[in-house]
Amino acid sequence: MSIDLTFIGQIIVFMTLLILLRKFLYGPLSTLMEQRSAKIAEGLAAADAGKEAKAKADAEAAEQLKEARKKAQEILAAAEKRASEIQEEVTNKARDEAGQIVQAASEEVEAEVSRARQVLRKEVAGIAIAAAERVINSELDAKRHTKLIDDVVAQGFGNA
Amino acid sequence: MAQEEHGAGGIAEHLNYWTYKFDDSNPFMQIHLDTMLTTVVVASLLVGFSIWLGRRLTDGAPSGAQNFMESIVGFVDDTVRDNFPVHNPFIAPLALTVFVFIFLMNCLDIFPAFLFSHTASLFGLEHYRQVPTNDLNLPAAMAVCVFLMVLYYEFKLKPVHFCKELLLQPFASLLLDAKNPIVKLLGVALIPLNLVLKLVEELAKPLSLSFRLFGNMFAGEVIFLLIAFLLLGGGVVGMTAGFFVGLGWSMFHMFIGLLQAFIFMILTVVYLSIAHQPAEH
Repeated sequence: MSIDLTFIGQIIVFMTLLILLRKFLYGPLSTLMEQRSAKIAEGLAAADAGKEAKAKADAEAAEQLKEARKKAQEILAAAEKRASEIQEEVTNKARDEAGQIVQAASEEVEAEVSRARQVLRKEVAGIAIAAAERVINSELDAKRHTKLIDDVVAQGFGNA
Repeated sequence: MAQEEHGAGGIAEHLNYWTYKFDDSNPFMQIHLDTMLTTVVVASLLVGFSIWLGRRLTDGAPSGAQNFMESIVGFVDDTVRDNFPVHNPFIAPLALTVFVFIFLMNCLDIFPAFLFSHTASLFGLEHYRQVPTNDLNLPAAMAVCVFLMVLYYEFKLKPVHFCKELLLQPFASLLLDAKNPIVKLLGVALIPLNLVLKLVEELAKPLSLSFRLFGNMFAGEVIFLLIAFLLLGGGVVGMTAGFFVGLGWSMFHMFIGLLQAFIFMILTVVYLSIAHQPAEH
């Protein structure tokens, strides 16, 4: 139970063990643990970065979708507007054309009527001249003449 | 029979070391071969285990022995980091060595009390003490190593402050703050007293460190021997009672061994961290 040379021996044993354990046990293990914790930290950071990137991409996608929808809406509205414009244009054109056709037809009718009137007038004049010739050629008989003229007129109109 | 055989020399008979004496007249010139042999064997096994483990370390998910050692290293690292104001790469391995070595030594107590000495007697040895921490030399050697390290760091990191503390504590205010010249003179006169008090304070550290471990383990050993005598000498009832008491004491003593290893480690760290504490002005 006394202090003796064992004390010196134990100091040597302890110091040797300390140096050896530091070299073989503590050194490799603590290096390893540090490496592992660095690796884990790195992995966690990467996971965080990935999550962030995903959130960003999601937001971007949503933004793009919104924009596309808006654009589609715009295109649709423009197309509708253009369609109604075209419809109106066509309607107007058709109405104009119809008016022109009606006008041309009425002008033609008028021309036809005036031509007919002229022809009629010429014929009436010719008939009148023919009737006058007949009246002159025959004796003047009021009853007969009248009846003749009437006949001629009736005849002429009937032919006309 | 058993009673007579073991009762003859009493407990003291079983507390002798396997000793080699260089010089019979000088009690210092002897060596406890059992303590030396056990420590060297345990230390070699520990180093062998470390080398074996070092070969199969993986930085992926640890398992088995590596996991176990990593948890111990992590625990020691945390303890050191919590207590230290600065980083010193030498402290954690020191704490680890202290903890593991003392714990393994204390664990030898789980072997039956007479196993080692009876085995040794087969080889013709008269005495063999199985637990080296029961030998004051081992705790004292470790405590002195720690103490020398504390002194080394005190002188290396803050030589002026440490010398001032040696000479001026605890009666510093008499010399430094006093206005009265007579009181100041008294302060100067008290410097030797300060030195003595401070030396006692410092020397108490390794002394208490070593005697705490030694006392706990030695008392445990003595109680084991008492229980063993009860077991061997008391007939059927005594043997049954001795068996259960011995079992209970084994468990308790294992816990004490772990606790003492932890206390030795934490005090080592604390003493060294005090030495590393920056000097306050």
